[in-house]
Amino acid sequence: MRTNNRGRAWFVAGFLAPATLLYAVFVVLPVCQAFQISLYRWRGISEQRTFVGLANFQRLAGDEVFRQALAHNLAFLVIGGALTLGLAMAIAHAIHGNGRWARLIRGVYLFPQIISMVVVAVLWMFVYNPSFGILKASLQTVGLGRFAMDWLGTPGTALPAVLVTFVWHAVGFHIMLFSAGLRTIPAEVQEAATLDGADGMLRFRQVTLPMLFPVLRVAIVYMVIGALNVFALVYLMTVGGPDRRTEVMLTYLYEQAFKHSDFGYGTALAVANFAVVMALSGLAMLLLRRDPTEAKA
Amino acid sequence: MQRWIRSAALAASAVYLALGAVSCGGKRESEKAGTLNVAAFKGGYGLDFFEDAAKEFETERPGTKVKVWGNPRVWEQLRPLFVAGKPPDLAYPGWGMDHWPLVYENQLMPLDEALAGKPWSGEGKWADTFEPALLKLGQHGGKQWMLPYFYNINGWWYDKALFAKHGWTPPKTWSELLTLCGKIKAAGIAPITYQGKYPYYALHGFLFPWVVSAGGIQAFDDMQNLKPGAWKSAAVIRAASMIRELADKGYFQSGANGMSHTESQMEFVNGRAAMIPCGTWLNSEMREQLPKSGFEMAFFLPPTLDGGIGDPTNIDIGIEPWVVPSKGKNHGTAIDFYKYMTSLPKAKQFVERKGTLTAIKGSDEVKLPPYLVEPAAAFRASKAIWSVEYIQWYPKLGTASQNATAALLAGTVTPQEYAERLEAAAELARKDTETPRHTVTR
Repeated sequence: MRTNNRGRAWFVAGFLAPATLLYAVFVVLPVCQAFQISLYRWRGISEQRTFVGLANFQRLAGDEVFRQALAHNLAFLVIGGALTLGLAMAIAHAIHGNGRWARLIRGVYLFPQIISMVVVAVLWMFVYNPSFGILKASLQTVGLGRFAMDWLGTPGTALPAVLVTFVWHAVGFHIMLFSAGLRTIPAEVQEAATLDGADGMLRFRQVTLPMLFPVLRVAIVYMVIGALNVFALVYLMTVGGPDRRTEVMLTYLYEQAFKHSDFGYGTALAVANFAVVMALSGLAMLLLRRDPTEAKA
Repeated sequence: MQRWIRSAALAASAVYLALGAVSCGGKRESEKAGTLNVAAFKGGYGLDFFEDAAKEFETERPGTKVKVWGNPRVWEQLRPLFVAGKPPDLAYPGWGMDHWPLVYENQLMPLDEALAGKPWSGEGKWADTFEPALLKLGQHGGKQWMLPYFYNINGWWYDKALFAKHGWTPPKTWSELLTLCGKIKAAGIAPITYQGKYPYYALHGFLFPWVVSAGGIQAFDDMQNLKPGAWKSAAVIRAASMIRELADKGYFQSGANGMSHTESQMEFVNGRAAMIPCGTWLNSEMREQLPKSGFEMAFFLPPTLDGGIGDPTNIDIGIEPWVVPSKGKNHGTAIDFYKYMTSLPKAKQFVERKGTLTAIKGSDEVKLPPYLVEPAAAFRASKAIWSVEYIQWYPKLGTASQNATAALLAGTVTPQEYAERLEAAAELARKDTETPRHTVTR
């Protein structure tokens, strides 16, 4: 019996070892290195480094641009997240079922998720193009041409414009997530609720939503990570401009490291980003740790 | 069954390890002794010219092997190579590289000795085959660190055919510009478009030419030399007001502020905007999109102020330098190969094949494509050149000035506020003790 167990342990270890090793070398080690580099002044062009202690973090504490970037990330999280989850929930609920149309529509909504972020950004740059973009053309068609403007180049509209693209891209994935969650709710429960007189919004609030809770929790944590790590979309659509109005943590990091050859500060930004992501996802998990269906049981 | 799975697991981990060993142990071809490793930015001019030159060089110098590699983001790959102490023998890192830290951290070889030597063919010094004003852009602390190959002239572009059709002529002065813009607008075309997403273009196209015109080349040198007050001088405020005037009169294409370089340049080649500021790479960048017929891209210098004190022949030049890394393994061959590339016949060939000008004296004495005739003439006629060097010298000031310019173009700051913002950014650069200072000398 014992030998059999040991054999099993080796068997499991044999499968885990390659992945663990890769993870350690390519994920854990670089993260540790990043913490180390953030304590240096380093131009990232030779081995020459100067230890500066926590100077990079002191600078970070007083950095107005970082605060601005973080605020933009939080806008992605709060506004973008609420819109994405709300829309996804509504649509998933609306197309619940297994008919041909429901499946087709689910496929269509998933589409943005499977195309590359670069393509998404380019596509929306075409949508917003102030000369021949679809958005301008659509507004003109319905007689609202005077509302057409330079969405990505105007300080006040650039962030909302990128946010819309962010939501457009993220919503499909969450529809899929919620659709899968909805299918796990037993039909009997829904029927019982209906027989008890709970229908429409009431049934959704009292039965469906609580039963979707585990899925919602995953979606929120996923959204925290996605919104705080947004990079390619912003970098391609606006490069953080105009005048930093769409700057996010990671575009700022890229600027500091690669354009300003300030890899020490760049890595300090990476550490700060890591801390914020960890803190907010931890907070989300803490706040959502109790499953409401369990509480009632 | 279980045994079978176990052997499969073992086999899988063996494959992992083997893969690791191959990727670590495989020696790159370029590291083999005697092979010259040349890394080059693959931009609009491609790599083919350098690859061909490498093949020719191999026959000129039997026994030598040259390997040219590169891509559009080569600067990102060069950084780790420099850090690891395994740089290529010769490099053209491209516009995305922050070049000067290479000098500060002894990663480059000074080239003065090589320049004092003979050129590829003929007598005299290799240095004398270069345009001296362009050579100067690669110097710091009395030494030559970087060498120019081709160079760009920044100015404005128009479509000769479109202008001829309407009876317009390229404006030489500010008042001519305003009059012309009025006419163009009346014809239903946007007078000027620009690459608003990258305010770098507006600095080259609008602000600095007008600073030079309003305050003379000295006003711009003072800015680059970080002279206190130079970034909020009367010339800067005047130039900024001119930008605002064009914006307020609706002479900029609406929407240009959010356009990328390609988007705005498309507006220009498609005839929806009549003029655009850009460097001499414009044609090669847009050649796939140029209309098949009836479009004649032509260059003119930015209109100058009426009564401006600047010399109107002064022009804005940019280079994209080549460097010889100090830790390269074949310094001699690297320099020899670059001498071959900069020999007059090769330089002339580059001008003909790539449609851009090079830093080698006399290389423009070939049949120039029509869009290069004016820039080449402007270079020959110029009594002095200026180059926007501070963006490379002080990247933080570079970023700050570009962000401020985006705000000016968007109308969120006034010219006065704009100048204050610039001066504040220059003050930060003055206080920065970590970055070595550079100076423009005349």
